[in-house]
Amino acid sequence: MIVGFLAPAVIIFSLVFLYPICRTVIMSFFKIDSVTAATDTWQFVGIGNYQKLFTTDIFKTAMFNIARIWFIGGLIVLIISLLFGVILTSGIRGKKFFRAIIYLPNIVSAVALATMWLQYVYSPKFGLLKSFLDAIGLHELAKTQWTAPEHVFWALLFAYCFGMIGYHMLIWMSGIERISPEYYEAATIDGANKIQQFRYMTLPLLKGVLKTNITMWSVSTAAFFVWSQLFSSVTANKGTIVPVQYMYMNIFGAGNAVTERNAGYGAAIGIILCICIVVIFTICNLLIKDDDLEF
Amino acid sequence: MKRKIISALLCAAMVGTMLVGCGGSGDGGSGGSSDSGDSGSSGGGDKLVYWSMWSEEEPQAKVIKEAVEKYTADTGVEVDVQFKGRNGQREGLQPALDAKQQIDVFDESVDRVNGSWGSYLLELEDMAKDYEAEHGNATLFTLARLAGGGTLKSIPYQPSIFGFFYNKTLFDKAGISAVPTTWEELDAACAKLKDKGIIPITGDTTYMTSFLGYHLGRHLGQDGVKALVKDPAVADKVESGEIEDVSWDDPRVAEAAKEIEDFASKKYFSENIAANVFPAGQNQEFAPGDAAIILCGSWLPNELKNAVAEDLEWGYFNYPAVKDGKDDASVNHLSNQVLAINKDSKMADQAFELIEYITTGEFDKKMIEEAMCIPTDSANGDAWPTELTEVKTGMEATTGYYDWAVGAENNGDATSVLNESICKLMAGTMTADEFVSTCKSAVGE
Repeated sequence: MIVGFLAPAVIIFSLVFLYPICRTVIMSFFKIDSVTAATDTWQFVGIGNYQKLFTTDIFKTAMFNIARIWFIGGLIVLIISLLFGVILTSGIRGKKFFRAIIYLPNIVSAVALATMWLQYVYSPKFGLLKSFLDAIGLHELAKTQWTAPEHVFWALLFAYCFGMIGYHMLIWMSGIERISPEYYEAATIDGANKIQQFRYMTLPLLKGVLKTNITMWSVSTAAFFVWSQLFSSVTANKGTIVPVQYMYMNIFGAGNAVTERNAGYGAAIGIILCICIVVIFTICNLLIKDDDLEF
Repeated sequence: MKRKIISALLCAAMVGTMLVGCGGSGDGGSGGSSDSGDSGSSGGGDKLVYWSMWSEEEPQAKVIKEAVEKYTADTGVEVDVQFKGRNGQREGLQPALDAKQQIDVFDESVDRVNGSWGSYLLELEDMAKDYEAEHGNATLFTLARLAGGGTLKSIPYQPSIFGFFYNKTLFDKAGISAVPTTWEELDAACAKLKDKGIIPITGDTTYMTSFLGYHLGRHLGQDGVKALVKDPAVADKVESGEIEDVSWDDPRVAEAAKEIEDFASKKYFSENIAANVFPAGQNQEFAPGDAAIILCGSWLPNELKNAVAEDLEWGYFNYPAVKDGKDDASVNHLSNQVLAINKDSKMADQAFELIEYITTGEFDKKMIEEAMCIPTDSANGDAWPTELTEVKTGMEATTGYYDWAVGAENNGDATSVLNESICKLMAGTMTADEFVSTCKSAVGE
């Protein structure tokens, strides 16, 4: 009976997850014209795809960009979202309203958001930033061309982080709300102020949630694509290129020109990203122990 | 016993759900939208299936829909037209063809259809003989045959040319009486515009690699550009000496970079040239009449038809010749979309008939009106939109053909750096020497 009960799930899991994973690993050792090319047209290249990747400057740039998005963006998003989470769970009035406002960018499509940032907020002619900086007298700063090659990475990062804060804030809030108010009452009676309560009670009790947040942030960063694509010209820009975008270019062609395609090369990029995520999880699990506290 | 019965029921329910979920007609169509609402049945053969690169809201799609309706009314053959959009077509077509899904007709650019999907195409030489004699535009058919390796495998429509569009009103204001045909004349025209406080040249970063390609192409010719950017497709020919090996240390390359640097130092390019993410340059600088010249394809008037200043009068000239250059202004990037028939189609004759409906007569005229494009049908040769009057002159003067960006984007690994570098060079934040050394390193030289 148990076999019959599990079989559908196992079969579906194998078909939907296991088979693509195995196929991707195998593909990464071949040169393949298109994702769906017949296997008899695949040319075995051994670790050639991986060797080429690690000697290709633009791939190294893409990895560097995604590392910066993960680390710097992660710090910005997790710190600001934690701050909002703490404020919104501190009993302020209008909690639901502010929570909805901060979460709102997650509901709007990324394409619409990126277009708003690119064509309105960062516009050097009539942009929100330009108007704001002019209004407060920072005329030189207002002339900054936010989407020029020198600044476009930071423009992209800021716009992306803006949209991600609400999501991570909700995760923090769910963790904070799990902590019993009685602990805070006891701490208040013992003379601990709000900052001490946050530092010595809230933070240690949120270690598990921190791990969840890092996991979610890492997974969404590894799949980072749409924002880079929208901040690019037809082809990827050096300042904003990320590995998934480079993978797309190699599988489906880059821009308007007919370029060389190699789905095996794309698969190798996928495998490298997967390994990066596994490494991050392993390090997180080693560094952040959340089983030493029970509450 | 009770638990066993519940387990058995749950098991049966799960298997049933799985069967329902996985069953069905095997319809294809990942994304996109279907005109008939009913996706193409695989291998049915009773309905023509047409995958289009246009998005449903584009004027081209609207005309195609009308042509399809008329075709169905006239012939009784139903057509399932699916507007996939550019990305949908690029991502989904080949997997669907590999999976033997029924797709009888599809379209995309002449290079992609013949280059990337060439092995799926039905040869059309015999089928299109009468069509070509009656409606064929000689240039477009030459391009289609070139792309098809000497054989006609696709029917062209929506032709376009890439060059400089300009605002005639601003040219008149600056006292420019003739369009520039050489780089020196362009220099003089830009100086006059600058004196009148008009931004001479703007553009979007999207097209800046094309700017670079054109300028290098004028100096080196297209093969020279391809050799320079290390296009993998010509590597063998370069090695065998069939194509001249051009390095970034070549004095002609330095000369080309210096000419652009010179324009940048004279402030001929918009100060936003490196920050104009499409469509900021064309919409916010050219359309309102702040900038006089923009490098773009002949689809530009259509894209800006609701945004241009009231007094903007459209003009066009081919990319000018440079001193001692290999190519003059008669060599240009001419392109078009093409319609092709799947070689496995069981309805090839009907598919060709549908192509005729879309690309000739009434619906070609509608396409010209709705999408403000160049006529496809030679019988409509006098029906050019007024906005493209000078494009006609530029097109007729064209005798040689470039690929997209004159091949400058053919090495996908280098394009990002080339694009960023040319933007910086035009913005004046990079010198010509820095530009050459950056590009040299990007192609691994």
